[in-house]
Amino acid sequence: MKRKGRENVYLPLSADVEEVIPLTPETSLFRVRPEAAIEYSPGQFFMVSLWGAGEVPISVASLGGGDGPLELCIRRAGLVTGALHGLEAGDTVWLRGPYGNGFPLDLSRGRDVVVVAGGIGMAPLRPLILWFLENPGAAGRVTLLYGAKRPEEIVFREEMDGWRERGVDVLLTVDTPAKGWEGRTGLVTALWQDVRSDLQKAVAYICGPDVMIRAAMGELFLLGMPEERIITTLEAHMKCGVGKCGHCYAGPRYICTDGPVFSYREIRSHSHFLTG
Amino acid sequence: MRNEWILDKNHLSYWLRQLRKERELVGPLLNGGKDIVFRTVEQIHEIVLDLPASLPSPKEFLLPQYEPMLRLDIPGGEPGVHYRAQPVSPDACVKGSRAGRVYDLAERRRRIVFGVRPCDVSAVRLLDRFFLEGYRDPYYEQRRMNTLMVTIACNNPDPTCFCIGLGTGPYLDGGFDIQLTDLGNRYFVQAASAEGVRTVKATSFLFRRPGKADHDDQYEVILSAKARFRKRISLESPRGMILAGRIKDDFWQRVAARCFECGGCVYECPLCTCFTVTDRRYHGGIERARLWDTCLFKGFTRMAGGVLPNEKRMLRTKRWYYHKLIHYPEVLGGFGCVGCGRCTLTCPGKIDMAAIATAMKGLDLDGATAVVGKGRQVGIGEVMRRPKPEETGAGPEGEG
Repeated sequence: MKRKGRENVYLPLSADVEEVIPLTPETSLFRVRPEAAIEYSPGQFFMVSLWGAGEVPISVASLGGGDGPLELCIRRAGLVTGALHGLEAGDTVWLRGPYGNGFPLDLSRGRDVVVVAGGIGMAPLRPLILWFLENPGAAGRVTLLYGAKRPEEIVFREEMDGWRERGVDVLLTVDTPAKGWEGRTGLVTALWQDVRSDLQKAVAYICGPDVMIRAAMGELFLLGMPEERIITTLEAHMKCGVGKCGHCYAGPRYICTDGPVFSYREIRSHSHFLTG
Repeated sequence: MRNEWILDKNHLSYWLRQLRKERELVGPLLNGGKDIVFRTVEQIHEIVLDLPASLPSPKEFLLPQYEPMLRLDIPGGEPGVHYRAQPVSPDACVKGSRAGRVYDLAERRRRIVFGVRPCDVSAVRLLDRFFLEGYRDPYYEQRRMNTLMVTIACNNPDPTCFCIGLGTGPYLDGGFDIQLTDLGNRYFVQAASAEGVRTVKATSFLFRRPGKADHDDQYEVILSAKARFRKRISLESPRGMILAGRIKDDFWQRVAARCFECGGCVYECPLCTCFTVTDRRYHGGIERARLWDTCLFKGFTRMAGGVLPNEKRMLRTKRWYYHKLIHYPEVLGGFGCVGCGRCTLTCPGKIDMAAIATAMKGLDLDGATAVVGKGRQVGIGEVMRRPKPEETGAGPEGEG
């Protein structure tokens, strides 16, 4: 969305909620239609709000480009996301954006891609996979390594079957298997040997819990993937999304305006990222 | 012709009355509790110009402690905004379709802030870069456009001031709207911005052009002011020491051990800009407002689900100093400190910028403690250099 210089960046647009699709007990996919068309790209995020509850940064889960609805994958985690989960089709939600840099899409041209996701970390990576599916020349083989705590917490599970049919290697793993689970058990970072691509020549896009991101980046680097091709997207508490409120500053950078997508090289050069 | 004039002190009151016709006049006043605060001036004779620095800094007129941003009017709600905030809960949020109209509450009042210190104007120059580059902050921009600042050069710097080591005072060569230098019975007036020049020229009959004697007197006054600084602190050397890796985490550990996490330094600092945003429900609508926040608070970075990326106080304290000493110069071209000395006045743990800069150099801080109060003389430098017995075995905390 282009904003003119004089416009108020904090002013949200209203969007109609078209559909709320439960994905897991705590996570739903919200299909919304903003009052004006908005262009965005994979890896960017919106400040989503409900008046009276507040605003939160939510990464965009749809690919965009067409006239389809905007999709937001939201886990019930706090006050605002709890309130968002009370919405039904026909309600109004407010959003402003998109913000952030988004994923570097040119990086994967001519290379195999490994997408590593944990839990709801699938949300920002879903448009990336959709983009690779729609643009066959954009990447070589695409492998998705996805880990969740329990089988019922796997998001977009049915959709993943469709991705598999369209040529994506989908490898699923859970921490705690349930009855009937025939897939793998354990951490996603134990799945490197099942990847059919040469990791040293591939590109990795990673999103998930902080510990998973750290472990995955470190291991891929050890396996010989160059640090500038290990890409992740970070999350932080944000109040503005436009580099003013200070909540997400990490060293001289702001995760909202300089990120949220960073390469391992950038992260390693600033020890301020991934503290705690 | 240079934009320099002489204003007879007898004309000051009349000049301010003229200025007040166009704008709200704000100046340093002594309130009931004997605090120095910038407030709307009702009686011009109540302005006091010979007092120490105001608390907080005049940044509150560009970034107020509480600033309404947007308001959503709910159809059918009672009209009129009553400032009666109610606790917000998920159930209190507005649902339903096309809930109402949203209004921009940006303040556009024309204001003149009189008696600002040069250090605070130096801070505003960095705030301008911060708020107006990249995404423009419309609330700051509106206030900035409508605010004229009249600076008074500091002939009598406070014992806590150290702008002289940073080039942010006590007298500026440019970057202000209007700067007055007190020459005893008259002011040496300089205007640097277009609005400043226009404002002086609008009442040009009050001013005369300066002569050689006026220039000489101003030179003398500035020279004498510069000689009065008790603190000679450069932030280049702390910055250099940090960048050279000479300041280890055990130093920050001991600084953090003295931090009360009161946020006083941040609120008084003319260059601290962090804010939080909150929704409040009123009769007839919901207001979205921002208010001052600080990275020294544990909950500042709390994420959904309760994750606290900066749980250790040491990391937060260190981050604040890194932001001011390392990242501010790297991104905006100047230190995140103008040497106003307000954190020295405020900090109960005596770990203000001046104390830290001095402690880093391993200098004795008796001079610094002597000016912050008549109480016990605490050798801060000594406390910070000497590790506590129980800490020595612990080793520095890593950053992960």
